[in-house]
Amino acid sequence: MRRATQHFDFLLLGATLLLILYSVTMIYSATYLSGERGQNLWDTLFVRQAIHALVGIGLLFLVARIDYQYLELLHRPLYILVILSLLLVFVVGHGSFGAQRWLDFNIFTFQPSELAKLIVIITLAKYLADRGPEVKRFPYLLLSLVIVAIPMLLIYLQPALGTALILAVVWLAMVLVAGARLRHLTILALLGVLCAPLIWLSLEDYMRERVMVFLNPQQDPLGAGYNMRQALIAVGSGGWIGQGFGSGSQNQLHFLRVRHTDYIFSVLGEELGFVGVLILLLLLGTLLFRILRAADLARDDFGKLIACGVATVIGFQAFVNIGMNIGLIPAVGTSLPFMSYGGSGLITLLLAEGVVQSILIRHRKLEFQ
Amino acid sequence: MEKRKPDVKITLFRTIIVFLLSLLALQTWRLQIVQGEESQERANRNRFRLVSIPAARGVIYDRQGRLLVRNIPSFIVSIVPADLPPDREEEVIQRLASLLEMPVESQLDSELSSPSQSPHLLGLEQWFRPGIRDLIEEGRKNPFLPVILAHDVPREVAFLIEEEHLDLPGVMVQIEAQREYIGGPLLSHIIGYVGPIPEEEAESYLERPGSDYEPNDLVGLTGVELTFEEELRGKKGRKHVEVDVAGREVRTVGSAIDPQPGYNLILTIDLDLQKEATEALQEGMTAAGSQSGVVVAMDPQTGEILALVSLPSYDNNLFMGGISFEDYQALQEDPHRPLVDHALTGQYPLGSTFKIIGAAAGLEEGIINRHTIINCPGTIWLPHRFAPEDPSLAQPFHCWWKPGHGSLSVVSAIAQSCDIFFYKLAGGYQDFAGLGLPTLAYYARLFGLGSPTGIDLPGENEGLIPSEDWKRLTYGETWVTGDTYNMAIGQGYILATPLQILNASAAVANGGTLYRPQIVREVRDAEGKIVRPFRKEVIRQLPIAPENLALVREGMRAAVVWGTAWKANLPGVAVAGKTGSAEYPGPRDREGKLPTHAWFVAYAPVEDPEIALVVFIEGGGEGSVTAVPVAARILAGYFDLSLE
Repeated sequence: MRRATQHFDFLLLGATLLLILYSVTMIYSATYLSGERGQNLWDTLFVRQAIHALVGIGLLFLVARIDYQYLELLHRPLYILVILSLLLVFVVGHGSFGAQRWLDFNIFTFQPSELAKLIVIITLAKYLADRGPEVKRFPYLLLSLVIVAIPMLLIYLQPALGTALILAVVWLAMVLVAGARLRHLTILALLGVLCAPLIWLSLEDYMRERVMVFLNPQQDPLGAGYNMRQALIAVGSGGWIGQGFGSGSQNQLHFLRVRHTDYIFSVLGEELGFVGVLILLLLLGTLLFRILRAADLARDDFGKLIACGVATVIGFQAFVNIGMNIGLIPAVGTSLPFMSYGGSGLITLLLAEGVVQSILIRHRKLEFQ
Repeated sequence: MEKRKPDVKITLFRTIIVFLLSLLALQTWRLQIVQGEESQERANRNRFRLVSIPAARGVIYDRQGRLLVRNIPSFIVSIVPADLPPDREEEVIQRLASLLEMPVESQLDSELSSPSQSPHLLGLEQWFRPGIRDLIEEGRKNPFLPVILAHDVPREVAFLIEEEHLDLPGVMVQIEAQREYIGGPLLSHIIGYVGPIPEEEAESYLERPGSDYEPNDLVGLTGVELTFEEELRGKKGRKHVEVDVAGREVRTVGSAIDPQPGYNLILTIDLDLQKEATEALQEGMTAAGSQSGVVVAMDPQTGEILALVSLPSYDNNLFMGGISFEDYQALQEDPHRPLVDHALTGQYPLGSTFKIIGAAAGLEEGIINRHTIINCPGTIWLPHRFAPEDPSLAQPFHCWWKPGHGSLSVVSAIAQSCDIFFYKLAGGYQDFAGLGLPTLAYYARLFGLGSPTGIDLPGENEGLIPSEDWKRLTYGETWVTGDTYNMAIGQGYILATPLQILNASAAVANGGTLYRPQIVREVRDAEGKIVRPFRKEVIRQLPIAPENLALVREGMRAAVVWGTAWKANLPGVAVAGKTGSAEYPGPRDREGKLPTHAWFVAYAPVEDPEIALVVFIEGGGEGSVTAVPVAARILAGYFDLSLE
């Protein structure tokens, strides 16, 4: 136990807790303060976020205690479970904003695509770790892609373009770390470019609209471009130190929409300014670096790849979301890890962190054997 | 402890992370620091709006201070297109359609089973029921201005909409003041009504320099509401407000400029007299079997209009909140045109009432004097122009009194309304040289015929004074003496409005001053201070010797005492007047006679006239039979009241 505590990464935990605190506070401003109050305290979003966080942290400690190598045994059933739950979403899933993404279990809702990210990382890591240097050969690379492609397709059909994209990037990062040849990757990239028109056509209208609006935000100020414009105004008006907590007009007067999920960054930017943003970036950076340290220290490739996958998921998703809020990237509807309101997302992240902690704790086992 | 060699790929990973985070920081810097002020500007534009505060419209009183029009609050439901999120537009429209009972899409209907509400109504050929979606589309030209969807919304609906405001972003319930016309049809021609700015005139209203008109405003469309629009509307206030995304006012920013309430009007009208006159006229019309008539009463010393009645009338309250299709159509299609004020707009042949002008002209020109005798044999024969010697071609001109009045002086001629006296006076006969058309026309114009009186109501017509040129241009014929004869007795081509002949008669009554008739006595501010006092306005002093007018007055007095107007000979007050029965084109009766309008102009008391009247009954037959009793009743009522 002492050994476990020695290698447990408290800095990682600390950064995570600070992020969660940040999240609950901003959600409080974006919802409770701006007038969206539930019928009782349990109904309010910031409280629910806090509760989810507590549950998640509990799970984190639980998972950290377990040797992550048990995951190697479980990876197949877990993968099948994920595919099944993704399929189930199409059958009995709940919709919002025109997409079916949720499973409603009455007491709680569960978004399979969130957990899928973690499971895919684990499965892919297992595959790549087992194959080892063989991944330099094209057929094995392709097969690794297939492992990811199946859940990716199911998620894309929900439709959830953002999450599907993230899976693709996770795969890319993981195979690169595993040693795939750039040559092969280039070929696959070219194939992807060829498929691009097909993908463009298969996109839903609103998605295409979003891309068009990204290219020219003035085009439709009250329609599809609205969110982006309001986000830019919100962030921009934050200045150095922001309008003050609970005092951002874009937030409080509801000019910003989906403030507690996709655009939570804009709420932060408006109310806490550049300083607030820097703090967020700092926390995220710390988190990512600590996870990569775990990758470095992992005693086997399985652990290393898992850690890289987790870092990619968090890093890339954060980049896409913040980019969306500041006009670098078209609106693709991804949430900001840890900050956005969302039970499934938060708990999955904390689970993933738990696995990373588990990797860290056991990195010396090799030496003592 | 062996340190593993750091994986170069992981280091690369770290670099990428730092790069991406820096990119985010840089872009955020650009937005927040470099473009910060601009964004702040835009955030402010989002939430700050300049809105106008409506001003209370002035109210209207009669000369005794009795309220004739008041403002009552009513609800309007409007929507601000800019505040309506596109992804919720459809559900909002559907909900509003069901709550307001309005169609979603515009309908072109010629038959409707339920009253509709439409802000755009006057001047439409086919009925048009605008749908909510189309109104919103129209409104997108000015997306921050509210588009009014419905006026005069029932309370419960208004409250329901307020309750559901979270589900109806951009929708506003506002209180607007609606006019309540207390007298209704009694005063509708005088007061008129308000309505939305007519489309054809939208530009002239909105672009007036210094005006604060907005597209949704209600403006006076007819009557005093129109002619005194500027005084009544006041001045709008302004305030800066902070709004949320749904356009709801969150708070006022800074200090507001208060609105200035409109001025109130005190009319010259006496409400009691107006009532009395309306009843008396209606009675007279029914007795005569007529569907249309006019009574105007004025103070001959000042030109103030004491009563103005045009029947049939209409209820101007119908126009409040948008008139229904059936109601409007009924008013438009009524052949007696209730929407028209016949007192100012109706142009009719005057009949014998014109003789007072002829008499004054003859006396002033010296053609006749008090003692001049002219013979009325009952019929005279006007020789044919081109064959004066052939008696079979001569044209007979009859007096209404077939046996002939015999020899008359001017006073008798007026009293008995002898036609032949005036034929000869105006057109000459045998050796007797008459006035001639140009002179007669000249005097007619002196007395105000042929031009509008300038009364402060809209829609006044100027009547018609014929001339030789006019006849040639209009009919391609030359003017003949017979035409002059006809004109002398107020027939033929000459046309005038009841107001014009009243004004002429008043000028006789007051000794020779033609005043501009006025219907608004004073303009006062909201605290009662006089902003514009009453001032009588002289159109002209008649260049006629006082003794000549006195003689005409004698004739008019005689008419009442023993002449054609004997039914107006009231005990207790000396009345003077002149009757008229003007023929007009219509179906002839059993004796082959053309139908006639009944006229009577009068004033009282003779020694110092306080009131001058004109009574006109369309198709009412003989003036002495049908019009005079109406005047008698009104005068009796007036003087009884004043004796109290």
